[in-house]
Amino acid sequence: MRTSGRGAWLARICTPAVLVGALSLAALVAVYWYLALRPGTNPALVPTPPTIVKALREEIASGDLLVNTLASLKRVVIGFCIGASLALVLGALAGWFRYAGYVLNPIIDALRPIPALAYIPLVIVWVGIGEPSRIIIIVLAVFKPCVVNARAGMKEVAQIYVDAARTLGASRWRVFVTVALPSAVPYFIAGLRTGVSTGFLALVAAELIAAPSGLGFMIQNAGQYFRTDVTIVGIVVIGLLGALLDQLASRTGRALTAWSDVRRDP
Amino acid sequence: MSNGQAVKRTPATIKPRTSADATPVLAVRGLTHRYVMGSPPSALTVLSGIDLDIARGQFVCIIGESGCGKSTLLRMMAGLLMPSEGQVLHDGTAVRGVRYELGFVFQQDAVFPWLTVEKNVAYGPKSRGVPKAERERLVAQWCEAVGLTAFRKAYPKQLSGGMRKRVDLARAYANSPDILLMDEPFAALDVQTKAEMQDAVLELWRSTGKTVVFVTHDLDEAVFLSDLVVVLSSRPGRVHAIVRSTLARPRAAETRVSDAFVAAKRTLWTTLQEARGRPVSALQSQTGATGAQATIVRA
Repeated sequence: MRTSGRGAWLARICTPAVLVGALSLAALVAVYWYLALRPGTNPALVPTPPTIVKALREEIASGDLLVNTLASLKRVVIGFCIGASLALVLGALAGWFRYAGYVLNPIIDALRPIPALAYIPLVIVWVGIGEPSRIIIIVLAVFKPCVVNARAGMKEVAQIYVDAARTLGASRWRVFVTVALPSAVPYFIAGLRTGVSTGFLALVAAELIAAPSGLGFMIQNAGQYFRTDVTIVGIVVIGLLGALLDQLASRTGRALTAWSDVRRDP
Repeated sequence: MSNGQAVKRTPATIKPRTSADATPVLAVRGLTHRYVMGSPPSALTVLSGIDLDIARGQFVCIIGESGCGKSTLLRMMAGLLMPSEGQVLHDGTAVRGVRYELGFVFQQDAVFPWLTVEKNVAYGPKSRGVPKAERERLVAQWCEAVGLTAFRKAYPKQLSGGMRKRVDLARAYANSPDILLMDEPFAALDVQTKAEMQDAVLELWRSTGKTVVFVTHDLDEAVFLSDLVVVLSSRPGRVHAIVRSTLARPRAAETRVSDAFVAAKRTLWTTLQEARGRPVSALQSQTGATGAQATIVRA
């Protein structure tokens, strides 16, 4: 296609996936709009899209949205970093070294079926309702999928690479670091991506407990004043933020596994 | 040595090429391997009482029917697998685990896909703590030797199957092994690429003078490459015969279609049929008539 720089950019953006995806979202909004306009619907409780956009502009103008988004983002990032690094280290060790597995597997498997939100009452009693308790909830939520995936990845390391490294004179530790870890990276990425989304789920729940700020707080607070428009703004922003972080994790993962000819991305 | 001379030796001495390397570089003594499988567990004997001496600098092929344990034998030579009975001696010391002196080239693609070509080649030396400058030199030398200098920075997925095998060979040689154990390394390649790789491996063998033990099920490959071919009988694998190839070296493309090549292949084929318990008397007599380029040194 012979176009200017701007045209080429447009052509690249306007792929079928993007166009159809946008239409799909627009249809969703249209259905909601239709339902909101039906006679007998209370416009205060089911705000129309223009009302929601207005609320969004107000929230942006007042600076509340930014403050709350940054507060939530900070918690998610801190919780994610702690939870994910703990999970990768422990999962990798448990999946690779037999005795580390004997020690860690029972703990990992016992924790597996427990939803992170179930710890909330305990965390509140033990740590209080401050910032640490919210981060702990997120850490727990991120940890679980990451550790399970990391461990699974180490179990799938191809024996051929291990044998090759050993015949080349690599020590057991070197095999772990230079063969097992890199070949399990696709699994680590899958775990991190799940971790991002479960971290977000936990974030809102964690902020529902007496948080002074954050998107979860914003939703909860607005709900108490029947400001459903603000609640919807909060929900949409959480959705966008989650999608953005997932994309970030996915792109990082793709960069790290550029050597692989297998694409595990959905 | 003269052609047509069939020498029987007991139990396991293959005449070294010179008196200087009289001690075999690799000696296999009473090697037996059993897999325990099924329920109730029962032992399946894969290899039984293998005795073998491999002299320094030789190119030895091991052939046998599929399932006769030739790969198992090679893995035990490498220390990747522990024998049920017997032992492998490398330079007189028992092999009790992998050691870098025993380089291995696998049948499957074993090049690390997450490392570039040069990092793959440097992997062995780095594992052994070879200083960086020396590693650089080794990488340059071996990438050049297999013709991959232009692809040093490439990732394996960007290379063809044959090129990846070249990386594998370079990686094994760059680690300065004493012996190279190759387990059907070219089995997955197409005929053309396979022939190129055979030329490459012969060139590496000629230029380094390092002993190669090469497992294959391809008679042409065995005849083309080897000084000696160890023919294993069907399961449980035993040494059925050792056939010496007296084809002239260096061997080139013409060698593959020469009468001598065909005669040597026929001897080997006949021996292999015997090893499988299906002797072919008619062809065997022909072998003598054509002036054997391969002689059975131990049956």
